[in-house]
Amino acid sequence: MDTLLTAEIAANAPRYRRKSSTFIDGIHDISDDQNMAPAQLYSTMSGRLFHSGRIAIVMVGLPARGKTHICVSMARYLSWLGVKTRIFHLGDYRRATVGKGGEVPQDYFYPNASPASMVLRQKILKKCRDDIYAWLNHENGQVAIYDAVNPTASGRRSLAKEFGKHDVQTLFLESYVDDEEILKENARNVKIHSPDFEGMEPDAAAEKYLKRIVEKIPVFETMEEEELNYVKMINAGQAFFYNNVSFNYLSHRIVFYLTNLHIKSRVTYFVRAGAAAEEDSYKSDGPLSEEGQYYAQKMCHAVLKHRENERKQVIDQGGPDLPLRPLTVWTSTRVRTVQTSEPFKELGYKVRQRSQMAQINPGVCEKLSERAIRNLYPEEAEKHELDPYHHRYPRAESYHDLAVRLEPIILELEREQNDLLIIAHESVLRVLYAYLMHCSTMDIPKLKFRRDEIIEIIPAAYQNEAKRLHIPGLDPKKVPRSPEEIRVVTNPPSGELSPIPGLSSPVEQQPPNLVEEPEEEETARPPEKIDNNTKDTLKDRLADED
Amino acid sequence: MPLKTNGIGISVEDTRICVVMVGLPARGKSYIAQKAQRYLKWLSIPAATFNVGNYRRCDAPHPSADFFDTNNVEGERKRRAAAEAAVADMLKWFKKGGVVGILDATNSTKERRQWVMDVVGKHGIDVIFVESKCDEEELIMANIRDVKTTSPDYAGQDPEEAAQDFRNRIRNYEKVYKTINADGDEDQLTYLKIMNVGRQVIINRIQDYLQSRIVYYLMNLHIRPRSVWLSRHGESMLNLEGRIGGDSELSHRGEEYARKLPDLVLESVGSDRPLTVWTSTLQRTIMTARHLPLHYNQLQWKALDELDAGLCDGMTYQEISDLYPEDFKARDEDKYNYRYRGGESYRDVVIRLEPIIMELERSEDILIISHQAVIRCIYAYFMQKSQEDSPWVPVPLHTLLKLTPRAYGTEVQTYKANIKAVSTWRGKGSTAKHEDPAPEGGV
Repeated sequence: MDTLLTAEIAANAPRYRRKSSTFIDGIHDISDDQNMAPAQLYSTMSGRLFHSGRIAIVMVGLPARGKTHICVSMARYLSWLGVKTRIFHLGDYRRATVGKGGEVPQDYFYPNASPASMVLRQKILKKCRDDIYAWLNHENGQVAIYDAVNPTASGRRSLAKEFGKHDVQTLFLESYVDDEEILKENARNVKIHSPDFEGMEPDAAAEKYLKRIVEKIPVFETMEEEELNYVKMINAGQAFFYNNVSFNYLSHRIVFYLTNLHIKSRVTYFVRAGAAAEEDSYKSDGPLSEEGQYYAQKMCHAVLKHRENERKQVIDQGGPDLPLRPLTVWTSTRVRTVQTSEPFKELGYKVRQRSQMAQINPGVCEKLSERAIRNLYPEEAEKHELDPYHHRYPRAESYHDLAVRLEPIILELEREQNDLLIIAHESVLRVLYAYLMHCSTMDIPKLKFRRDEIIEIIPAAYQNEAKRLHIPGLDPKKVPRSPEEIRVVTNPPSGELSPIPGLSSPVEQQPPNLVEEPEEEETARPPEKIDNNTKDTLKDRLADED
Repeated sequence: MPLKTNGIGISVEDTRICVVMVGLPARGKSYIAQKAQRYLKWLSIPAATFNVGNYRRCDAPHPSADFFDTNNVEGERKRRAAAEAAVADMLKWFKKGGVVGILDATNSTKERRQWVMDVVGKHGIDVIFVESKCDEEELIMANIRDVKTTSPDYAGQDPEEAAQDFRNRIRNYEKVYKTINADGDEDQLTYLKIMNVGRQVIINRIQDYLQSRIVYYLMNLHIRPRSVWLSRHGESMLNLEGRIGGDSELSHRGEEYARKLPDLVLESVGSDRPLTVWTSTLQRTIMTARHLPLHYNQLQWKALDELDAGLCDGMTYQEISDLYPEDFKARDEDKYNYRYRGGESYRDVVIRLEPIIMELERSEDILIISHQAVIRCIYAYFMQKSQEDSPWVPVPLHTLLKLTPRAYGTEVQTYKANIKAVSTWRGKGSTAKHEDPAPEGGV
């Protein structure tokens, strides 16, 4: 195998995330990290789940059919479940082969291409496939998602045969779209950043783009191969056709996930619950303190104001004057989260309580200081240090237990069409954030969510974006941190990880006069967008037509 | 379908769903309906099945095949009346707070499906059609054999004649049967079509999470024969003291049960075919499983841990009643919903067990070693126990249960280890350490 080339691709991929950072969606990381499986149900000797063996999920569909969005979401979900998953974009290999600025020949996708084009195509395909085998055979991978157009039935048949020879099962997943509106919408999203279409009417640009696809890839056969396992997703999830020859659980699971997936963009806000009178006690499940109630009011105000501002901005920039998307609030059944949602309830917003979202159970560590834990349970503390994600103190839940319990919530989160505000304990926010932003299990127990901030997650096809919004008007000295946590025993505390840069600075280091500042100035603190490179990657992927 | 909102960013109430079964007779429609209802009710989603055949039988208790001939005007009229009565009752039930109503009938024509859509849709209830389409002769024959012996339509008749008549009835249905969207003009319907026992599936226009959940559940069902074995852990040290919860080790007698369990399982299974063993993460279940044969695969699930009693963990009932008399009373009044301070209710346990049930449905032979409350919840799923009753079911220690799901209910066999143990069952209002006498296992 050409390892050099693989490395080159990884290094050239603009989305490659530095390992230490949790604030960029890590779904595209190429890492050998064993710690990316928050909700793994159980482990087997082989490290593969559901006794399913090795699987190739082969994408089928023309460009502008939302394949990338499906790949990325599926990889996110499967990894979260503990299935070792990796996406192989054939486009990455094509770009690496033809070099920067290079172009494939005009007849590259034609069925009757010239011998030179055929050779080039075979060469690129082989490299990609070799990488897939290497990963499945030597890196203990379980699901390889092969992202390419795969337009012909004969090509797909031989692909399944080839994978079969390597003892890999194949599940095809076709995204089939015949709804003009969806096509145009997808095309508009893809071509936005391309210089080719600059200055064109959006609709005209989309049309031109779609036409170009047809010119480049003249032959496309939708899946009808009876002997193959395939799922056909029609018009972005409006319908599914499922041809099941020999598959079982994992593919059901994927279909279940896909039936809940939708592409419409809606945002998720994460906020913490207000402080309780008895912060340290898990069992007493106490009500909010006075500060907690004050916080609930301020937080509610900040969320609604932010939404209103966003809407105004859209209108000011010439966007359509649409009503706000509905907002739904989810809390756990713990008293303090329910009470924190009261101001929303009073305004008539729908608040749903989910018992699965209760905070992590601290077990014997309840009310104990870190030192006390070390004294009382020295062996446990040592184990915890080694694996803070999976280790479970006596009678306590591990983060892993929490993630498994949160799984139904993840599905509902994907299904939800309304904007969503999640009011929960920090431990719950950590795990949900890790799903949306793909964090390593080593980082999850250390993520920090400040009490005076709202985290907003905006979904996008290629990767999700996170934004932090300040809640004005809170006294920073009275913004408690998270005393109710199981102390994460790490030695030495080398700085807490924050999901978002800047979040980790302890409250005490804030400018002391922050609260004295005039209201106006405070509210003027703009929402900060977490920097990432979505634009670049989109540009890069424009010609992804393999 | 547009989202229902009131315009200022607040959405209106949750949906109600009418699941309409579609398919020829002997395609397992009632089995699917019955399973779906059990699953939903267990999740505390109000669900009920309305079987049109039951309504029709009031009018025509033992009809012959001719009754189902579309040219039989009288038969047609009566069948239509039965469908109308069933739907009317279902709508009444929805008004009283029903969430998922299942209409169990053939609904084999486009006209009938349109009629259901119109009548039910008018009340703002979403309709999802679930069609079972099957041409596998063997499965149909198995269903026919089942029907001729169990259907009230053929009660007291010669089985061979009944089977023949039933085949004729199916033929009469086949004359008018149209699979969903056969002509391409039913594309607007929300439906799930399962063809040839899951070889092909079509899912169309799923509208919300609950619908997707139902669809997912139905896709996980399988009809291969299998059993589920349930056992509590052996008697624990805290059991001896009459204390709840905790994470104690087994008592001497509990250890004795652990040693005997392999024989008990072998006796029940009847061969050395291996089971997969699921335990909780607490010591007492792991210790109970440790003498089982090595070729049994063992998995630990946090979700199988005992109901968390929160502040009351490790107390005796007397202590709870002394310290929290109001809580103690409240729990007896509504044991299913009562949540221990800082702990869990039976309802919470059911919710966390949901992934386990999904795994169970798709798996084959499983032995679960868990705890009283958890076993009660799993038992309630298979036996359709109500929420009032399930938290009170006696599940004695040192007893192995074998549950075998059948088409119209679950079969239970009990294997006693004959090793003495304290009783942990508690009657309403009682604070006894060990109830005496304890009821014979209700299971």
